[in-house]
Amino acid sequence: MSETSRRKFLAAAGVGAASVGTVNLAAGSAEAKPSAKSVKESVVVLIEDHKSSELVLLVGDREVVVHNRDLVTRILNAAGGK
Amino acid sequence: MSSHREAPEIAKDPVADSTDVYAFMHPTQDDQVVLIANFIPLQQANGGPNFYEFGDDVLYEINVSNTNKAEADVIYSFNFRTQIRNPNTFLYNFGVIDKIDSPMFNRPQVYDIIRTVKGKTPTYVAQNVPVPPVNVGARSTPNYPALANSAIKTVSGRKFFAGQRADAFHVDLGSIFDLGALRPFNEAHLISMPQMNGVNAVQSYNCHTIAMQVPVSDLTADGKGSSDPLERRNVIGVWATANRARVRVFNKRTKKFMNKGPAVQVSRLGNPLVNEVLIPMSQKDKWNAAEPNQDSDYAAAVNKPELQGLLPFLYPGVFPKLDAFNKGTRPRADLNAILLTGIPEGVVKDGSGKTIFQNYTGPVEADMLRLNMGVPPTAKNSPSFSIYGVVGGDIGGFPNGRRLEDDVVAIELRAVAGATIPLVYPDYVPDDAAGALTDGTTNTNSDLLADFPFLGHPGGGYETVPGTAS
Repeated sequence: MSETSRRKFLAAAGVGAASVGTVNLAAGSAEAKPSAKSVKESVVVLIEDHKSSELVLLVGDREVVVHNRDLVTRILNAAGGK
Repeated sequence: MSSHREAPEIAKDPVADSTDVYAFMHPTQDDQVVLIANFIPLQQANGGPNFYEFGDDVLYEINVSNTNKAEADVIYSFNFRTQIRNPNTFLYNFGVIDKIDSPMFNRPQVYDIIRTVKGKTPTYVAQNVPVPPVNVGARSTPNYPALANSAIKTVSGRKFFAGQRADAFHVDLGSIFDLGALRPFNEAHLISMPQMNGVNAVQSYNCHTIAMQVPVSDLTADGKGSSDPLERRNVIGVWATANRARVRVFNKRTKKFMNKGPAVQVSRLGNPLVNEVLIPMSQKDKWNAAEPNQDSDYAAAVNKPELQGLLPFLYPGVFPKLDAFNKGTRPRADLNAILLTGIPEGVVKDGSGKTIFQNYTGPVEADMLRLNMGVPPTAKNSPSFSIYGVVGGDIGGFPNGRRLEDDVVAIELRAVAGATIPLVYPDYVPDDAAGALTDGTTNTNSDLLADFPFLGHPGGGYETVPGTAS
């Protein structure tokens, strides 16, 4: 059993196990609006590789993988003070 | 040792540090299996006012493989929650804790038990099971055995216990990690000193234990048991894990840490001493996060252990045959079998040449504690019982599972020194010293119990003088 599938077993029992989703965000300059599924708690954003387009959003006992190079670049720029 | 503070990262996270795993047949009920996983090493009994407890932010697991793939086919998960009854006191207890639900106990902790069979929906075995308080001392927990025993949870004949115990593991850490010295052999060491008895470094320390006793049929792939030790279906692989959320962030608003993301494995333990003594320091943290079926990545450290090369150097003239073996190219296929694949048929035989034991789980190299549930337990008063397990002629002990009495330090020292090489290379004759190695320690903590959960009651905070055994 892979690590992911093993943790998914536990996720079904609600004991703090993995539930990994992947989301592709389209780039856009329009101001974002909350969706019906928008979470209402703190979220940790993790960019493990600054050269990739991947962001990992850690929320509750889940992680959501987002691919958006533009967003990665904006965050890296902000982290650099620009 | 056997996995106390064995890797750089987990040494800084004791609440998630798995220290020992045991798997053995119940001594009197041979259709019952006992699995024990210890965590939180080297607890001083007097460690108040914030005494040791399981982590609410750690997911503890006992994993069982039963399909010869070194995968977790059955997982028992243990999830803890702690309450503070009175937030306005610094006290762990306000008075005598004379029962498990005593209102005098300020930090009651409960846990859920979840059983997951591969491919099926996880099920709760039990919820809100109480953890007994630690053994605070004569005034706070005056009848500790009765208090702790009342925390044993029985569910349809299965038994579970989670709480503080006396650590039954014994080892001379101070000597072994002082340039590989064994006090009983001090004079033969490169830096010679007078011989002396071993010193049990775990003496007077407690740990936190998760113990379970279940029928054999709960752990086999087909839900059935049998008494034939040569049937592969009777062999299970067991290992414990501890898991934490991927991210821990200090919340400046609440002034508390918050955990985010899915649980990821941070600690693992199957056979004793593997990560401690065999895996190089630079790989220990990675090993802790890996699955057993990824252990071929680490097989080189088993096939040619660093310690095997050090022994002839540290004890000049004592291991000439091992020294000669080291200069050859043959891998330690014996250690590979004992630790990573299990011992196949045809290796352990009786006087007539008949195979009497195997615990082979297939070719996948994986560090798992392998128990052949078809081998009946060896009675402790039997002349066949040996704390040296299979090496001592007792197939009821390590590496056929691991009993609380098994002297795994001596067994593995002897194995690494070459005592088990003839199992695969019959032409090899071990050095005389290989079969005599020991660190000279015994279990000097509380006596083991005759029945579940078998590990002795923890030393009390008031009663225990640091460095002593009571």
